Amino acid sequence: MPVISLFAWMLVIAFLAFIACMFEDLESDIGSQSNPNSQVQLAPEMGYIHRYFNKAISGEGLSYALSCTIAGTIAMLMLLKLEPMLAAKDMSLGYAAVLAIPVGAAVGSLVHMVRSSVCHVGREAAHKRFEQPIYLDVFYGHLLPIATHNFMAVICITAIAYIQCNLGILSGVTGASNPFPLPLLCLIWGLTVGAIGSSTGDIHYGTEREFQDKPFGEGRRVVYHGQICRYGDCGIRTSKDVAAFCAKYGGPATGLAFGLIVLFENWRTVIGMLLGDLAGPAWNPSIAAAGGIGIGIGIAIVLIILARTLEKWARNKYGPFVGE
Amino acid sequence: MEPITVYLLVLVCIIIGGILSSLAVHLMPVGGAPAAMATATGIATGCVMLMTGAAVTGLFTASTVASFWVTNPNVILVALSGAVGSMLMMGFTMFVGNLIYIFGAGIVPCSGRVAVDPITKESQTEYKTPRTDGHGVPTVSFVSGILGGFSGGFGGALIYVMLVSDSYAHFSVATAGIVAMGIFIANAIIAAYNIGGTIEGFHDPKFKARIRTGLTCSLIVSALCGVIVVIAMLTGTLVGGVM
Repeated sequence: MPVISLFAWMLVIAFLAFIACMFEDLESDIGSQSNPNSQVQLAPEMGYIHRYFNKAISGEGLSYALSCTIAGTIAMLMLLKLEPMLAAKDMSLGYAAVLAIPVGAAVGSLVHMVRSSVCHVGREAAHKRFEQPIYLDVFYGHLLPIATHNFMAVICITAIAYIQCNLGILSGVTGASNPFPLPLLCLIWGLTVGAIGSSTGDIHYGTEREFQDKPFGEGRRVVYHGQICRYGDCGIRTSKDVAAFCAKYGGPATGLAFGLIVLFENWRTVIGMLLGDLAGPAWNPSIAAAGGIGIGIGIAIVLIILARTLEKWARNKYGPFVGE
Repeated sequence: MEPITVYLLVLVCIIIGGILSSLAVHLMPVGGAPAAMATATGIATGCVMLMTGAAVTGLFTASTVASFWVTNPNVILVALSGAVGSMLMMGFTMFVGNLIYIFGAGIVPCSGRVAVDPITKESQTEYKTPRTDGHGVPTVSFVSGILGGFSGGFGGALIYVMLVSDSYAHFSVATAGIVAMGIFIANAIIAAYNIGGTIEGFHDPKFKARIRTGLTCSLIVSALCGVIVVIAMLTGTLVGGVM
């Protein structure tokens, strides 16, 4: 039954999305990137020498858009070469995808690793006048975790893009594929995964882990900025210690956000298509579109109610601010 | 349809799409880097990053929905699909962000710019940490973000469908996607310059003070982009499948 296989592929996409965004957030914690990195940059200027990996690449959205698009482009080039060869030999086209997607992702991650190394060295060199050293063991030791976490995120995104632009062939339901080519889909999801990772996971790293010696349960005051926690459980903290902590809450929560978004986006579109009688004789695109819109508005209303309930619970449970 | 009407319609829709994008950036609760340290209210990322992420999610759904029609997709339905997609992305992001603030950092969402939440009529000041500018995403910022997502997604998808539709600009799918993203990002960056850091939503005094400047600038930027698109249509450089 082709419609069931459509839903099955959709769940695969949602699962891959969960993993992708979780690893995106953890990678931006291992090589301190984006918003909380502003504190890592500020710390030497305020006299707090640290051993974090100061990766000041752009924002996560654009950084991941680049990694994923490189991966998508190389994957597409390989697919364009390999698929005709396989078709001529009458073999399954899946072999081409299994080869192209990891190779593309590997190249994307290697480029990301190169960019990280340049960023860290450049940024710490600029802090020379504050007597912040460039610790070579910090530099060498973090390159591999950065590349591998990035690889996990990028390969999942490339796989999602591949599935989405070939969904019609994979599920057997014609008209289900997205018309955008593979690299453009990689760009879109890379941007989204970076935007979400930046909006959600950064909070756990920035508020909680970076200022762990400040009291739990309050916002970080402006006077605390730059006074990041530099001592760990045993000895001096590096960015590798950060990822282990954030993997307990920030990483999975970020993955949950993106997984839910991808799930509900695809799910409501498919339900709309079914309402409009997809792959049937009475295919009505207007009803299909309107159905998806209606379901989406319903989900948004539920989200507003949930957010309000959560806020009320927090206000009642935690109460007004205590202390000075 | 007469060619001159087509060109004018494309130009006007690009301008409307651009203005809606700029409005969306002003409506979204953006806390920037301070929000990642729970020093400011809003989502913990920059304006452009968040808005572009939301808009391309909407663009993705809009492209799927636009492919339902063989030719001449219904403009309003496709634009609304994009709007709802973008709205959902913002909603889930803000909700999970609040989950991390409340359970990961033990913080109550509250506004730093107003003393009373205009929607829930609840007091904000006594829940705020002293010497911060608020933290989390309170209900009014949440609703403002939802509206912003809707507006931005609508604008981006509107530009996309006018560019991809056979009866209007008739660009190839990939070109229309890139051009729509480009016009959208241009407007988002202009709006981010206008906001200058953080904004909490429509209840923030900054919103009323700066919205007119923001919309005027985006009108000019979108008009310029629209003129270039019309020139591309006139010279036939991007018609059909030509990238």
